[in-house]
Amino acid sequence: MLATLLRHDWRSLSADASIWVVIGVFAAAIGYGTINGARWVAFQQDAISEARAEERERLERHETAIVRINRENATISAFADPRNPDAVGRSLGARYVVLPPTPLAPLAVGQSDLLPSYFKITTDARETVLAATEIENPHRLLTGRFDLAFVLIYLYPLLILALTYNLLSSEKEQGTLVLALSQPISLRTLVAAKVLLRFTVFLAAVVGLALLASLIIGVDLGAPGVLPRLAFWAAAVAGYGLFWFAAAVAVSALGKPSATNAMVLAGVWLALVVLVPSLLSMAATAIYPVPSRVEMIQATRVASDEANAEGSKLLAQYYEDHPELVTGDAQQAMNDFNLVRVAVAAEVERRVRPVLDRYSQQLTAQQQIVARARFLSPAILMQDALNDIAGTGAARHRAFVQQVEQYHERWRAHFVRLIFEKARLEDYSGLPRFAFEDEETGAVSRRVAGSLAGVAVPTVLLAVFAFVRLRRYPLVG
Amino acid sequence: MLEAVHLTKHYNGVTALEDLTLRVNPGDVFCLLGANGAGKTTTINLFLNFVQPSSGTARINGLDVTEQSLETKKYLAYIPETVMLYKNLTGLENLEYFSALAGRSDCTRVQLLDFLKQVGLQPEAADQRVGTYSKGMRQKVGIAIALAKNARALLLDEPTSGLDPKAANEFSALLARLSQDGVAVLMATHDLFRAKESGTRVGIMRQGKLVRTLETTEVGHADLERIYLEHMHD
Amino acid sequence: MFTIARKEVVETLRDGRFRALAILVLALSAASFAAGWRHYSDVQRQHLEAQEATRTQWLNQPAKNPHSAAHYGMYAFKPKSRLSLVDSGIDPYVGVAAWLEAHRQNEFRYRPAQDRTAIQRFGELTAAEAFLVVLPLFIVLASFTAFAGEREQGTLRQLLSLGVATRDLVAGKALGVAAALGLVIVPATIIGVAALAATTEFGGLRADVPRAAWLAVMYLIYFATIVAISLAVSAWARSPRTALVILLAFWFANSLIVTRAAADLAAWLHPTPSAIEFQTAMERELSNQEEMRVRLDRRREELMRRYNVSSMDAVPINFSGISLQEGEERANEVFDRHYGGLFERYESQNRAFQWAGLAAPMLPVRSLSMALAGTDFAHHREFVTAAEEYRRGIQRVMNDDIARNSKPGAAYTAGAALWAEVPEFRYELPGVSWAMRQAAPSVGLLLAWCVAACWLAARATRRLGVV
Repeated sequence: MLATLLRHDWRSLSADASIWVVIGVFAAAIGYGTINGARWVAFQQDAISEARAEERERLERHETAIVRINRENATISAFADPRNPDAVGRSLGARYVVLPPTPLAPLAVGQSDLLPSYFKITTDARETVLAATEIENPHRLLTGRFDLAFVLIYLYPLLILALTYNLLSSEKEQGTLVLALSQPISLRTLVAAKVLLRFTVFLAAVVGLALLASLIIGVDLGAPGVLPRLAFWAAAVAGYGLFWFAAAVAVSALGKPSATNAMVLAGVWLALVVLVPSLLSMAATAIYPVPSRVEMIQATRVASDEANAEGSKLLAQYYEDHPELVTGDAQQAMNDFNLVRVAVAAEVERRVRPVLDRYSQQLTAQQQIVARARFLSPAILMQDALNDIAGTGAARHRAFVQQVEQYHERWRAHFVRLIFEKARLEDYSGLPRFAFEDEETGAVSRRVAGSLAGVAVPTVLLAVFAFVRLRRYPLVG
Repeated sequence: MLEAVHLTKHYNGVTALEDLTLRVNPGDVFCLLGANGAGKTTTINLFLNFVQPSSGTARINGLDVTEQSLETKKYLAYIPETVMLYKNLTGLENLEYFSALAGRSDCTRVQLLDFLKQVGLQPEAADQRVGTYSKGMRQKVGIAIALAKNARALLLDEPTSGLDPKAANEFSALLARLSQDGVAVLMATHDLFRAKESGTRVGIMRQGKLVRTLETTEVGHADLERIYLEHMHD
Repeated sequence: MFTIARKEVVETLRDGRFRALAILVLALSAASFAAGWRHYSDVQRQHLEAQEATRTQWLNQPAKNPHSAAHYGMYAFKPKSRLSLVDSGIDPYVGVAAWLEAHRQNEFRYRPAQDRTAIQRFGELTAAEAFLVVLPLFIVLASFTAFAGEREQGTLRQLLSLGVATRDLVAGKALGVAAALGLVIVPATIIGVAALAATTEFGGLRADVPRAAWLAVMYLIYFATIVAISLAVSAWARSPRTALVILLAFWFANSLIVTRAAADLAAWLHPTPSAIEFQTAMERELSNQEEMRVRLDRRREELMRRYNVSSMDAVPINFSGISLQEGEERANEVFDRHYGGLFERYESQNRAFQWAGLAAPMLPVRSLSMALAGTDFAHHREFVTAAEEYRRGIQRVMNDDIARNSKPGAAYTAGAALWAEVPEFRYELPGVSWAMRQAAPSVGLLLAWCVAACWLAARATRRLGVV
């Protein structure tokens, strides 16, 4: 029976131009979105290799210079001396740390256009090091990308709604519904068949087109973790699609005319995809506003003015805190510019820390609100899931920044020691190295599964509601 | 075959049908006459289980339609005032779909074409989209569905209103053939002439009540009209 | 005509859906104005205080070498424009502060968006968002039945049989929708004006009044365009359902699809370099010592010629000041070339993007709204340029002092008097005519849309079919 219904429904659907328009629009959007995602990843990779090339070239240049200076016994100013650990740590030997895009990064640009994927590590204050950003056109950041995630979050539900808003009402308005139901078949079976057909068409279209597009742009399916992530991605697409199908059927089950259904569903879409996220964002920033960064700048400035004034007194203090660094004549060291600067920097950071902590506390509080309230909108959950799968979300970036902070600490400790030891660098093989330890697939899967569960619950509720309401579907009148 | 026992239906306090009891046996053609809102369509909707009775029962082939809704529909065919079909599909495809729904997915194209031929649809029309069909042609497809399904009971809701006389005549002929084959027919209509011609019995309804039942063989056409008007007046 | 309009209004007001929607739109704009007002007040206060503090720090520097003072520098904090409470534009995506130091043009850093959660990318709920996206949906829902609905009900046949002129019918319908719309817009505007009026602690409103007025005019033209399009589709469509589906598709394309698609296309046409590429290229030029040497030799010759001496020792000014200034001048050329090139790149992207306004009337209004609110890229660039000019001014004052007053080889310090020679940094938002000139193509596009939509409506209604 179901097979008959499906066959007929497909025949009827495919005879209508609208499904071809919908699939055409969809194919074009998926193609354009995937290409945009791929172009962005290519851009990032270019930037990363450019950074690596710059680093390699610079380090080689300075290492060659060391040999030359030593040979010629040349004099060179301290800040340009490639043997001076202070100069090397502050600029000459600076290393890039990189958050590599995952193989599936083309699927969602996410936050990767806003949050930088590489930093240049120096002995400067952490905040200075982490303040670097990509120089994207702000207008484009505001507008957002037309990537596959956009297509899936915004367009995909609308196209589903376009094909389902009049699932029953059109047959009722045409008069064919009564004829069909005068046959031994129940309304629920009929609806189930219609939904099943449309869902299959959509899922096949999305997953098929997206996989095709990914293969064309060269996603490496053999890379570790890619297949399970793709499976999660397909599950997310299916789950989010089912939610919108359930919503459309639930509205249809109320038995209102097609035009009313269209209005109601357009309203639901607007509310869940546009209004709830932006209201939530507004609420989070209103409850836990992150102050403008000017406060931090001013605090840093005041602290460094004060610390600079105290100068060598701070160095004495520093020696007390770090007795292991005392080498040779500490008294003479009190006049060493480099050493004083290290002590001053440490003091500035100590004083500014509470101000900086407030920024991260506020942001964390915002994130907690959003983490709890995101269940209000499947669109937010979908965004989270897609970004997590593509590795372009905030969580992976946070993990990256944490590792960078640790590395930055190591970097500084390394150079502080060299500065205090008055060492001279003869080559750069001993510079600390950074390798990003990517998140475990398990952690990603758990987060994605959480988001998907959040989509599944309202889907089931809507489906149950529709199932119950269909019993009372007004066939006449 | 079709049986109503003390069938009553209220809509929000308004009585649409009150205490209807009637029987339509195989081979019978029972015509319901009455003004708009007399309860004719409600009766048919109740047999189809499109609306639920406030009290009483409707039975088809001895089965209660509210309890065994799907089972009873196997015996049933329904032809509304205008048979609405899927515009984008051809007449043949529509017939194939509806008979498949009725459980006859085994019908071959030849068989289906034969049904359409039996109801007098022009052969070239079978493969045209229904969007181009006239009302008469749609009604013929409706009967073809009933034939394909081998329905034992037929519910007709003003099937000839708006048909031109020739088409109406053809329709009545088809009906007569079905009733000879032992199909029980319940037809709501305004057309006294058709009722007299094709019906075996007529029932006159007024404000939800069946006020009079007549054998068509007992009365002439003029008598029927007089009796009908009498009931409408008081 | 007014009879028709009155009937439309009565009909609309009796519709519960309309009332709910009107309240929703109103609540949204009230909430967004309130949030915008609070954000503006907070940030503006912080920035003004910080700007004052950075000035005080500058003035309170101890006696030191002017070049040390130049290195100490000042900060430029981006003031918020008052109308950013209507449309925050690109504000969240541009940095709020730049360090004005010697030798370098620093970027504006700390983009507020980086201190927000990822859901911000769904869009900020500003009043502009409510007007650009939500209100058109409201118009569409209020007017898709205008003709298609009456046709389906059969009342259109009746109206035309009474001898009502189609022109009156159209005008009446339009007026009816406009009146219903007014019930939302007028209170929203009052709330907006109240929000603006509550910011007088940051200075008089006079400069912002013409901007606000133009902003209102542009939005009204946009709403008129949407009304005309809705009426045209309603007259043309065979059933209200068709009209609704077409209009919803239009609304979606207009408010979401075209913007994003066009932004990516524009970036495709004029690609932005990566930060690393940009920095590396700039550093390479800056570190060209050879060019610097040639320029300094030229300066020495000039000076000797000017003072008519044959040795630099005889020149009565300190060459290190000249040398520092020459370094600044050369670096400035590099900065102008590189930052100028980058900003030009953005501008070409934005111009290409603007032309996508041919496909969606929302784009020109969006550009205009940001331009008038002072939150578009042109305004940002204007501010960045002003801050950079100011930085260059500081350097000039410091280096001139070194050249004039210090002696080569001798320790030299200057004091508070010199610090005070640097004027305070004041930035005034450019006038409304400047903003409108920047956005001239958008004005043209918006007017073209409005005219085209009205023409469409007139045409579709002239041959209004009753069936």
